[in-house]
Amino acid sequence: MLAFVVSGGRAWAQPPDADTDQSDVDSDSRTEGESSHQPSDLEELQRQLDILAEEVERLRSGEEEAVELSEDQVRALGLAPSAARSYERSRGVSIAGYGEMLYERFSGANQAGDPSERTSQIDFLRAIIYAGYRFNDKFLFNSEIEIEHADEVFVEFAYLDYLVHKNLGIRGGLVLLPMGLVNEFHEPTVFLGAERPVTESVIIPSTWRENGGGVHGSAGMFSYRAYVVNGLAGANFSSEGIRSGRQKGSKAKAENFAFTGRLDVTPTPGVFVGVSFYTGGSGQGDIAIDGHNFDVRATIVDVHGQAQIRGFDVRGLFANASIGDALQLNEVLGKTGTSGVAEAMRGGYMQAGYDVLSQSNALGDTQLTPYYRWERVDTQATMPVGFDRSRSTDNTFNTIGVEVKPIPNIVVKADYGWVSHDAETSVNQFSIGLGYVF
Amino acid sequence: MLGRQWQSRTAAGLVLSVALSATLEAQFVTREEALAAVFPDAEVEAERVFLTEDQMHRAAELAGGDPPSALVARYLAREGGAVVGRAYVETHVVRTKRESLLISLDASGTVRRIDVTAFLEPPEYVASERWLDQYAGRPLSQDLALGREIRPIAGGTLTAIAANGAVRRVLAIDHVLEADR
Repeated sequence: MLAFVVSGGRAWAQPPDADTDQSDVDSDSRTEGESSHQPSDLEELQRQLDILAEEVERLRSGEEEAVELSEDQVRALGLAPSAARSYERSRGVSIAGYGEMLYERFSGANQAGDPSERTSQIDFLRAIIYAGYRFNDKFLFNSEIEIEHADEVFVEFAYLDYLVHKNLGIRGGLVLLPMGLVNEFHEPTVFLGAERPVTESVIIPSTWRENGGGVHGSAGMFSYRAYVVNGLAGANFSSEGIRSGRQKGSKAKAENFAFTGRLDVTPTPGVFVGVSFYTGGSGQGDIAIDGHNFDVRATIVDVHGQAQIRGFDVRGLFANASIGDALQLNEVLGKTGTSGVAEAMRGGYMQAGYDVLSQSNALGDTQLTPYYRWERVDTQATMPVGFDRSRSTDNTFNTIGVEVKPIPNIVVKADYGWVSHDAETSVNQFSIGLGYVF
Repeated sequence: MLGRQWQSRTAAGLVLSVALSATLEAQFVTREEALAAVFPDAEVEAERVFLTEDQMHRAAELAGGDPPSALVARYLAREGGAVVGRAYVETHVVRTKRESLLISLDASGTVRRIDVTAFLEPPEYVASERWLDQYAGRPLSQDLALGREIRPIAGGTLTAIAANGAVRRVLAIDHVLEADR
């Protein structure tokens, strides 16, 4: 049976023999007239010090505030005492952020050796502020406000969470879709490479966020999320993928909804595999022929895995997207020849890195990670009848680079990417990325 | 397009979940609950220790970082008068908000279990029990580091760094206090 000795705590500067030393000092310094008062005064001081130390330590910890509800107050809330505990928990604003800058220098010649005519560019890609507020132990608000390319403002996500149970939360608002490896965890210190994998840009259009809500949680080695959100806008699909179909939460058309979710398994810390899916109509009332609306169902499935062990970082992902009513979509959009939206798109990558300083204390927290990524993306894998594949939409990427983290919150990345496709018009590029997170 | 009936059922399910949830437990254990689980048959006594400058210095050298304060909150667990374990409350900042861990040790000074008692950052960044279980049975060593004995948290780098630093500080402080006993 566990028993807490609440009043038995004591504080000392020299733990071993504090009591003995103090009693010796007391007896030595005792004078006539004060002998009956000094020990009790010291005990009272000791007691007060204990109380103050406990208060300071509790305040420092961020644990439950010392606000207790009376029985009447609990009854007024209409809750059982245990449910009312959430009203006694800590509150507060949370601020965090990240940012990244990217320099791209393109090769002067394309794959065929002709002039590439690509202009080098340096862009402050993103400056982000996360702002959250915890109303109590169960309700919180979280948001990400983004300034993109230094002059475009977006809300990347803004949702309310209701933490029902340690295994279940309910979320509603503008949410990140739980797809792939990058979309939800897109801070520059998290992914290897100056730029995100192309698969997670055009097949899984990160950063992908839509309005809706659903559930999330974890139990043991499993974690899950499942949301209902507004569907994509198929009228903006192109031969280069579905990225332009994101509605980003801004006056989103909601004639079609979609269901999305993921399930991950973490058999051991640092290693996980999982599957994500998305399915829903993309017509949004815009794709109609002779008065008949077409759903243009978009279905995306990906399988992914990641292992981070002893300095190694290995990741892989494969994604397949299929577009229903592609023929009708292309007809309505007026696309012809090789410019059509595909019935199927797919892409995948494997990447590996190794922190060569991970097993040494020589440079403290500094990380130095060379990496390599192989990737293939085909945004016109299967075309509708009457449409041809472009020779430039099936791309193979080989990227080799290195990232340096002087501290875990700051990263500098440099890599070189070779790109090839049948049209031989691709252009290789050298990239440098600078990122921070706080 | 998802059917209207299906959408209605989904909405009804969510509302029902909200209604039922009031009877379910809170997210984090209290330190008292955690202590009861770690030392179920023990008498637990709270202590607050003020480290001396020398102890602070020695703990910082062992941990590889300064203790956040000279005030250390810990609990001694006794069975039959003998100390069977110690537990420390370690509070630190993850990003901009605090986290408190109750780090329980056995009598020899190795990690027995770690519980999160407060986490004020968004909950998706909290370390899972399975991740914290990596520390069970481990003493303080150079290998007690992310990327070595301890694996990272996917998407939770700062949480992992903060927790690992906390464990190292607690093990170092415990080592120093026990050496001076």
